[in-house]
Order: sequence, then C-alpha cells, then structure tokens
Amino acid sequence: MGLFGSSAKPSAASLERCRAWEIALDRNGLPDFVTERLAGAAAGKGAWVATMTPAELLLMRSHGIRPIATVSGTCWFQYGMSWTEGHAQGWHDALDRIRREAEAAGANAVVDVRMRTLRHPMGASMDFTLIGTAVKINGLKPSPAPIVSTVSALEFVRLLEADIVPVGIAVGARYDWLGYWASSYGGAYTSSGWGDSQALWRTQQARSMFSGNTPLHDLMDFWEMIRRDAHADLRRKVAEMGNGVLAHTNFGQLIERERDKQPPAFLGRHIVIGTVVDAKYGSPVPHEIEMVVDMRDDLSPLRTPDAPRHSSYEDVQDEEGDI
Amino acid sequence: MADQQAIPEHALARLAGLRKAGHPDGVFTSDFSVNEFLLVRKAGFEPVGLCVGSCIYHLGMQFAGWSSSCELDVLSTAMYEARALAMERMREEAKAMGADGIVGVRLTVKRMEWDEKVLEFVAIGTGIVHAKGHQGFKGPRGEPFTSALSGQDFWTLLHAGYRPLEMVMGSCVYHVARRGMLASIGSAGQNVELTNFSVALYEAREIAMERMQLEATRAGAEGVVGADLHEGSHGWATHVIEFFAIGTAVVPIEGHEPGEIPDPQLVLSVNS
Repeated sequence: MGLFGSSAKPSAASLERCRAWEIALDRNGLPDFVTERLAGAAAGKGAWVATMTPAELLLMRSHGIRPIATVSGTCWFQYGMSWTEGHAQGWHDALDRIRREAEAAGANAVVDVRMRTLRHPMGASMDFTLIGTAVKINGLKPSPAPIVSTVSALEFVRLLEADIVPVGIAVGARYDWLGYWASSYGGAYTSSGWGDSQALWRTQQARSMFSGNTPLHDLMDFWEMIRRDAHADLRRKVAEMGNGVLAHTNFGQLIERERDKQPPAFLGRHIVIGTVVDAKYGSPVPHEIEMVVDMRDDLSPLRTPDAPRHSSYEDVQDEEGDI
Repeated sequence: MADQQAIPEHALARLAGLRKAGHPDGVFTSDFSVNEFLLVRKAGFEPVGLCVGSCIYHLGMQFAGWSSSCELDVLSTAMYEARALAMERMREEAKAMGADGIVGVRLTVKRMEWDEKVLEFVAIGTGIVHAKGHQGFKGPRGEPFTSALSGQDFWTLLHAGYRPLEMVMGSCVYHVARRGMLASIGSAGQNVELTNFSVALYEAREIAMERMQLEATRAGAEGVVGADLHEGSHGWATHVIEFFAIGTAVVPIEGHEPGEIPDPQLVLSVNS
C-alpha cells in the first residue's frame, strides 16, 4: 500500500500472457491461447462473434456464409524517419497480423474491416488497428490466405453476386521536399539541386505582395509529381492482389518550411488507401435495378452514402510536420 | 446447394485461396463506393483511373471603395481561372488514360495555412470507359466529358435519356457597400429592409448564374442538372463574398423516348 492508495500490480499470469504476446509478435505468430480460442471458434465450440447487424446476418445466411470470430491486428508504430512511409508500414504490418488471426480461425475472408487509430499524444508514433469479422463459406476449405475486406457484410455479398471479390487493402504513399533540407533527426543534409532553388525563388516572387493573379506553376508541378508517385505506388500494390481499387482515402498535405535567408522550402506528402477488388472486366451485374421513390420523409437509406470507414486522417491539419 | 448458386464459381475459387491473384497488366483506381461501382458497371461502363487536377493559385489584390457595391473582377477572374485550370489538368489525366469521361467530380478549395493569399483548388473524379467501346459518350470536341454526378446519378441520368457533357461554372466575387453614416442614423431603431444589401446579393448571384448558363449554352447543352450555388468568403475582408454556380451540362441521347422510362415504384422503408 503506497502513499497514494493501492497500486496495480500485474499478476504472474498476466506477465506470462504479455511475454507470450511478445514472443508471438517477434516470430510473426500468435500466442497459444489466441490460437486455441480461434480454433475453438472455427470448430463451432462456444459462441461466434460478429460485428454484423441482423439484416447482414440474414443475407450472409442466405448465401451460405457463416461468421466465426472477431479478429484484429494492431501495430503501434513509431515513424522516426518518415511520417509518410511509417504510415504505409504501420498499416501493412497490421494487415499481416489480422490475416494471421483469420487463418488461425480457419476463415475464407474477413469482412467489415475497420481501420482505426487511437489518438494518444505519444510523440511521433501511433497505433494502426484493423478489426473485422472472420467468416467461412459453406463447402469451402479454409483459405491459406484469407482475404481482408473493408466492405460491410451487406456489400460483401452484393459484390460477390456480381462476380467481384474485395480482396484486400492497399496503401500508396509518397513524400518529397522541394528545396534543401537539414534532417531534424540528425541525418545528413540533402540538397535537391539548382533547379529546386530556382523554382523556390520563382514561387517566392509570385507570392510577393504586389504580384497579381497567378498560378504557382513550380509548386503545382511538384505537388502533382508527389500525388502521381503515390498513386503509382498504390497501383503497384494493387497489382499484386487484384485488378482495381476503390480508394476511399486520399490524404495530401503541402507544408511550408521557413529557412534562413532563403525562400521557404516545401514538403509534400500524400497517402492514398483503398479496397482492392478482383473483378472481371465488363462482366454484367446480374440484378435488375428497380426505381423506387421512398415515402419516408428523412433521407432514404437507399441513398445514404457510406460513412467513412476510418478516420485516421480527418483532423490532421496543414501545419509544420514530419516527412 | 441451392443457396450458394448466387455466388459465381470464379469468386468462390478466389475465396478458397485457389486462384492466382495478381494482375500485373494494369489495374484501375477509383474513389467509388461499392454501390457506385456496381451502378457504373450496370450502366455499361468500367472505371479506368482516378483523375486529379490541382491548381495552387496566388490571388491578386483589389480594393473597393467603402460605399460602392461592385464586382471585384480580379478576384472573380482568379477564382474562375484557378478552378478551370484544376479541371483542365484533371481532364488531361483522363485523356491520357483513354477515358470517355469523368464521373463523381468533386471540386474543393483549400486555404493554405502558410499564406492567406494562396488557395489550392482540387478537382478529383473517376475516369470511366464504355465497356464495349461505344464512342457516343465523349464530351465536346471528342474530349472526355466531366460531371459532378455520383455513380447512382449517372445511371439514373442515362435512363432519363440524357448524357453528361461537361461541368459548367460561373463565379462572381462581390463587394457589398457599407451603409453611410446618415442612412444608419436615419433607420436606427426601425424595422426596414436594407435595400442596398439585398440588391448587392441579387446582383452577385445573378452574375454567377448568368455566366454558368452562358457556358452551358456555348457547350451546346440542352440543360444543366444538379446546379448548385455556393456562397463563400475565403478568408477575405467582411463585405466581400463569392457566389459560385456549378452544375453538369447535359444533352439528350438520340433515339431515347420518354415512354421507355418505367414508372418508379413507391416504397415505404420500415428499416429504422
């Protein structure tokens, strides 16, 4: 008993569990107690756990799809070297981990995967978390590489009917500097050359007080290059899994950094995240579409656009930041 | 099993982990939702790629007298030109990927934190092609069409017998005169219309709408759907306001009869 009340102490059992987690993460595996729980769920021992609504459950059942368990993957990642690449890596590691849990649950797919982030001010780091429902399709063997799909169970079935498989999540990321930059993490000075310097002086001039209406062409070209590279990166990742992507998150920032006796430099960073699909080109959508007028007064559920499935980039401002 | 027939074989093979996955020979990118994707395909189109155009623009300066209501044409021109440039760059991307048109275009304006006179205009949408290579959907001069319509709206527009031509817009930045000292004193404590303010808003809105309509007429459109009028002040002084009109110009599809359009069913959703 301390001066300020009782202090919580980990029990021997919990210390052991934490140790098991550490070993498992280190070996790219899962602790025994997790494997056991998931295997039990796969075998139908105990209750299944699903994030689905009853309507989704109905549709899943009618299509021979069975929920097994909620699975997740978390990676708390520090982006000491690069914010942009750190984000890509963080999501990537979390994806590997949720896939591992799904495999242990004998699943064919994980549906309704949400991308989540706790926003704790913990320096240059954050957690990348994926949570979803592992499902099994009746009559199919467990997949050695279950697909990870961010779409809801309802949309999952609708896509499958149209011969489109939502197979995974892809992240494309790219950052660069326009101008010289001294690394704030003790790295070497990088110099991006004479051309950049010219571009920055021109930009500075165009932004001067007496300058009239003008597009900032140098800045636009630089910004466009970053975005295109991020999208090219996305395409590369997509090509490994499927033939298209529904990119729900497009996040870009152009940040100015003041320098001594020189025009300010610019940092551009761009992240694009999407759901990868595998769809046959030109294959027909089987269902007829019926036009209806909803008689309710509030917005029809048929027209409600999908709420964003993750919010990691919603409140990030354009202020000075890491690369 | 009967209830599983709804899922095609091809998809089942992928779910069982049996089928090879990669498609190194080209992928599409888009920001469609699942429903939009399905409806665009149902309409006979395939997405090819996300098209983005952005324009970072430095706004010039313009002053207006304390008591004059007038258009600030330097700012009007800036706001229009910057958006047009962003749209043009987006259209160039679409052309480069061989798209017939762009749907779901969103046009945004962002103030840069580091300079109040610099605005970023972004146009973003998904380039699509007709799956069977039909060429009749291209926009003016054989260039890709642009439209602010969602995938749902696109499907519905085609079924209404129209096709999108291009996004049209009009911008007017207006300075609303301040009221003189005597007039303010004269109306103190009374309920009166401030006619000069009403007139200023009318005039600014009218100019923006006129410009948009003129653009549509010049493009050879029959009409404009989804027209919207935005009012905004992008960090400017008080009494300076922008009216921005935007919509999608459309033309009728040849040979489409209004009689072909089915009557919509009335439904009452009991779902929540």
